[in-house]
Amino acid sequence: MLRLVALRLAAFVPTLLATSVILFVAVNVVPGSAAKAALGIDATPQAIARFEHDQGLDRPLHVQYLDWLGKALRGDFGTSFQNHLPVGPELLTRLPVTLELAILAFIVANVIAVPLGAAAARSHRHRTDQVVTLVATVMGAVPNFWLATLLILTFALKLGLFPAGGFVSMAESPLRNLSLMIMPALSLGIVSSALLLRIMRAGMIEVLASDYIRTAVAKGAPAPRVVWHHALRNALIPFLTVGAVEFGWLFGGVVIIEDIFLLPGIGQLVLVGIINRDYPVLLASTLTVTVAVLTANMLVDVLAGILDPREVFVRPRT
Amino acid sequence: MSTHPAGRGIRAVAVVAFAWRRHRLLVIGAALVVSVVASAALAGWIAPYSPYDVNIADKLRPPNAAHWFGTDEYGRDVLSRTIHAARISIKVATVAVSVGLVGGTVIGSVAAYFGGSLDVGLMRLMELLFSFPAILLAIVLMAVLGTNILNAMTAIGIIFIPGFSRLARAATQGVMRQQYVEAAYAIGMSDLRILGREVLPNIATPLIVEAMQAFAYAVILESSLSFLGLGAQPPEPSWGNMLNSGRGFMDQAPWLGVVPGLAMFFGVLGFNLLGDGLRDVLDPRMRRGLPGPMIPGPMRVHELKGGRLQTVGK
Repeated sequence: MLRLVALRLAAFVPTLLATSVILFVAVNVVPGSAAKAALGIDATPQAIARFEHDQGLDRPLHVQYLDWLGKALRGDFGTSFQNHLPVGPELLTRLPVTLELAILAFIVANVIAVPLGAAAARSHRHRTDQVVTLVATVMGAVPNFWLATLLILTFALKLGLFPAGGFVSMAESPLRNLSLMIMPALSLGIVSSALLLRIMRAGMIEVLASDYIRTAVAKGAPAPRVVWHHALRNALIPFLTVGAVEFGWLFGGVVIIEDIFLLPGIGQLVLVGIINRDYPVLLASTLTVTVAVLTANMLVDVLAGILDPREVFVRPRT
Repeated sequence: MSTHPAGRGIRAVAVVAFAWRRHRLLVIGAALVVSVVASAALAGWIAPYSPYDVNIADKLRPPNAAHWFGTDEYGRDVLSRTIHAARISIKVATVAVSVGLVGGTVIGSVAAYFGGSLDVGLMRLMELLFSFPAILLAIVLMAVLGTNILNAMTAIGIIFIPGFSRLARAATQGVMRQQYVEAAYAIGMSDLRILGREVLPNIATPLIVEAMQAFAYAVILESSLSFLGLGAQPPEPSWGNMLNSGRGFMDQAPWLGVVPGLAMFFGVLGFNLLGDGLRDVLDPRMRRGLPGPMIPGPMRVHELKGGRLQTVGK
């Protein structure tokens, strides 16, 4: 068990380093634009040169990267080119918002996908299955930002049930927080549930056809117990792997959803960083999202190992 | 073989009728795709107005006889703009999917064919690209390349490469075990020729199916980028930037938030259904090979009664 965790962690660090290199290079390959964005279009060449020297942008790229990495490891993500505030504390105040949104959306997706997928598999090729599959296909074709628009139109503007946007922290008012979070979470979660539902259904169909289910049925176990106890556990393994990838995509989707619902999360920071070409902000925010995604993937790998003992690392014979 | 035109017509109807019975979703998907592609190709003829004609006197008119889907904040006809917006979506998706398909197929099949450290290296790189959330990678690439539609195509195409390469690699590995590849090698065919003549035609099916799904996703990504202001730039209409500019008028003009989205939804749905349908047709194993569950619905208890098996309860 510990060995599995250690192995995953060992693989996690190089991946993280490599992604940080890719992001750093990607953000820095266009020379001069950051200075222009910070100083305005009619900045003199001298002013640009001075800005780049002050910010250390005139050094070789690998020196810049190592400098940035060393500071980032100590929690120092530099200061914003625009408002000259340190980026690290900004990240910390925004991260809970994004995490809450992603987790709520993930819960929504799973609450829809697991029971519906299992029910569809149980009635494979019958009416329920066909209806559920059709619903999944339709849900999968709705872009999340359009769903968000429709939800605002119906529930905020027409019915006045929920506020159209804004944010209040959980600590301040849990009820108000949830009423503001419910539509963003639904727009992300419903769309994600389509893929998860398909995976759940396919996995469940395969498991229900296996020998040990036949055995469980033969020894007289009641059907709900067979489905929910025997089958679900094994169907969850492939589901989890896809779920982790989907969780990552949810994190990508927060950029657009946070923009629509005016949530002050990491996603908004990404957008601000891009529009202003604010490299420290852009790097720190995109890296945070990537770390979250990689962490989710790693946790799922470990969890899949716990659920399925066959996947646990087998010690090689010496 | 009937050569009479009427005979050909009857045959065509019969083919469509057969397809409708056997592959209903494929036919619906194909119809949706054809209508989106047609509106992109024939936008200039179909659209009742120019998508750029500004008419402030007629701004924010609700749907009426002259403007079926109303007008936007500049008095432009929403229907015409929605039809013209299909152009950008189809253009971006076609280029992006081609980039992803060609790049991914080359990388995946070469990795599988030559194996060894080349395989490990290429696949590590692909895994790395795969670990970024797609939309985030697209946004960063757009920031780097600059916001215009050509760059959007490239950015989305790059995102597709890892997915296609994984698929191409797995399929190539399957084909490599076949005797005809061994035979080709034995008669001294060059690697390039074996890859092109023997491997490629035999891995095409899953790649085509994947390409349809990628097409649907490319349409969503392009709209997302345009929605954020990073893709197609106004006044050029795109479903994404139309929805974005409609955001400011949602309480007065809700149709601005509905119509472009509906078009996008039908386009995406069409490509998804076409992909699923093609997979069923091209790869029947996926359909028939799926094992059925052991317990279809509530179980029944059977009992022998008077020499006959009868259902006595559930």
